[in-house]
Amino acid sequence: MDLPLVLNTLMLLTLATLSTPIILPLLSDNLKNTPSTITNTVKTSFLISLIPMTIYIHSNMESLTSMWEWNFITNFKIPISLKMDFYSLTFFPIALFVSWSILQFASWYMASDPHITKFFSYLLFFLIAMLILIVANNLFILFIGWEGVGIMSFLLISWWHGRADANTAALQAVLYNRVGDVGLILCMAWLASSLNTWEIQQIASPAQAPTLPLLGLILAATAKSAQFGLHPWLPAAMEGPTPVSALLHSSTMVVAGIFLLIRTHPMFSSNPTALTLCLCLGALSTLFAATCALTQNDIKKIIAFSTSSQLGLMMVTIGLNLPQLAFLHISTHAFFKAMLFLCSGSIIHSLNGEQDIRKMGGLQKMLPTTTSCLTIGNLALMGTPFLAGFYSKDAIIENLNTSYLNTWALLLTLLATSFTAVYTLRLTLLVQTGFTRIPPLSPVNENNPAVLSPITRLALGSITAGFLITSFILPTKTPPTTMPLSIKITAIIVTALGIALALELSKMTQALILPKQNSFSNFSTTLGYFNPLTHRFTITNLLNGGQNIASHLIDLSWYKMLGPEGLASLQLMVSKTMTTLHTGQIKAYLGAFALSILIMLVSTY
Amino acid sequence: MSSLHLSFYSAFVLSSLGLAFHRTHLISALLCLESIILSIYVALTIWPIQTQTSSSTILPILILAFSACEAGAGLALLVASTRTHGSDHLHNFNLLQC
Repeated sequence: MDLPLVLNTLMLLTLATLSTPIILPLLSDNLKNTPSTITNTVKTSFLISLIPMTIYIHSNMESLTSMWEWNFITNFKIPISLKMDFYSLTFFPIALFVSWSILQFASWYMASDPHITKFFSYLLFFLIAMLILIVANNLFILFIGWEGVGIMSFLLISWWHGRADANTAALQAVLYNRVGDVGLILCMAWLASSLNTWEIQQIASPAQAPTLPLLGLILAATAKSAQFGLHPWLPAAMEGPTPVSALLHSSTMVVAGIFLLIRTHPMFSSNPTALTLCLCLGALSTLFAATCALTQNDIKKIIAFSTSSQLGLMMVTIGLNLPQLAFLHISTHAFFKAMLFLCSGSIIHSLNGEQDIRKMGGLQKMLPTTTSCLTIGNLALMGTPFLAGFYSKDAIIENLNTSYLNTWALLLTLLATSFTAVYTLRLTLLVQTGFTRIPPLSPVNENNPAVLSPITRLALGSITAGFLITSFILPTKTPPTTMPLSIKITAIIVTALGIALALELSKMTQALILPKQNSFSNFSTTLGYFNPLTHRFTITNLLNGGQNIASHLIDLSWYKMLGPEGLASLQLMVSKTMTTLHTGQIKAYLGAFALSILIMLVSTY
Repeated sequence: MSSLHLSFYSAFVLSSLGLAFHRTHLISALLCLESIILSIYVALTIWPIQTQTSSSTILPILILAFSACEAGAGLALLVASTRTHGSDHLHNFNLLQC
């Protein structure tokens, strides 16, 4: 059997199967979509995409397909080239598995929505754009996918567009992503002008790459993956429905920035400046997000900040020159983060729209499956040994501890790991345990297979994915093999310290002590004062500058005052002064005559 | 300057100032105008004698002719104003006064 043919054909068949619900209704009026057809389409694509992954695991076969070439200008051709290597072959089944589960869940979650089919089409369109991004070998195709996921994110966040907060959040997402797009376009322009190509194969330079395109790529990743500085859009994006948060803002879209850095990694590996920048930026992001998550009360915001923190951890891994480990963390993180969001969606619907964890409690007896899976997800997030998160997170922290790098970044990451344990445990304790604080008449019901099977499927993935992926994939760089015992168990010790701290703090909440405000809790609650400072300051300066330059300087000054109107006002002033002299009396004229005679007399003297 | 030049120069200046400062009657202005013309005539007569260019001797004759016309025009204005206003006071010429 011709394995390369099977590999390529089945990958393209996956993409083609996903596009059928979009194309077929355009061709005929009888073929209308329903949520169940779209869910089944994604399930079929998932099953088809398992075969190329199996071929890769069996014979380590990668493939590079190049179709029709766009002759952009002479000497610069852009082929449609798709790269089926370890990253795309492994990410396709994972993304499709998670999307299938989310779509199945969404058919229950959005059942009361009149435009549910449009919702599903949007999610499908997003998925196609994301997969195009993953499989692209060419920065041009990647850019198409990049913009596609950005636009679908905008449309999906503002799904309930009657709500002003949702519109603001969607606008925020688009504006921040646009800033990152500038970075990506900068890199593309630099590559086109100096290397005359946009292919990923041709941009691996053995010598030290100039820093400018790398800075552009880091800017693009900062915006798309919500690193510190361009991060406010991710917590605000929780205004969208829970399936949107689960698919876009936890598993797939936000990892696009990290994925871009993984794809262009050969350029990074020889530039220590860019690597250090990634490291420090990632460490700062992970600590900042973990600090903000400590005092949030909205269940979706806590999970959003934990996503942001894990994205910072992925950026740290890129900064350590370990792209494969970052990809492993992306894959395992997709499972448990999507599951956490689906569990929170089930809880929110069961409590009739309640999202505040201070009004939940004791749900373990009322929603047994959901809360068990929530516990599994939280344990995986914390990096509990041998669940999915452990294989990637512990490996990252081991590599951090044993490599020669910035100590500040290391300390920040360890502190963020312990904070992860703190807010995760806080979430679990407040939502599941203790006495219940929900209103008496809540429609608590999880007895729907559309709810239970996605969540349990993802729970199975959260437990086994790390083990399966690390068993079947050979690492490209040798992991650190020996280290002192204290270094080896650093991650677990730090997590255990976080758990102990959280348990102590939760005991304090049950004693009637007045909570005091101090600067740290204020910093955490207001998300680091970042949003008001940057939004108002930047916008005010921009608008003031714009008004000064465009309106005051050009319109009013140049065109009016120094031009016609100024001339007119000067003339008016002069003529008003001169009018008093024109009296029309002969005496004045004769006086002028006498003056001229006297001047003549004086001048000839 | 020589006393000859001083004579017609001072006549000219004094009559111009007189034209400017006699503000009651039109006839005093006309008289001063006549003395201006007279001083110009004298200056123009002395000039070809001083520079010995005999071809310029026609100039005083021309000035005389023009001054006669001008005096006639001035007197006609005087008569017209006396006929309309009853006197030749200069404050009657006030059509252009704003």
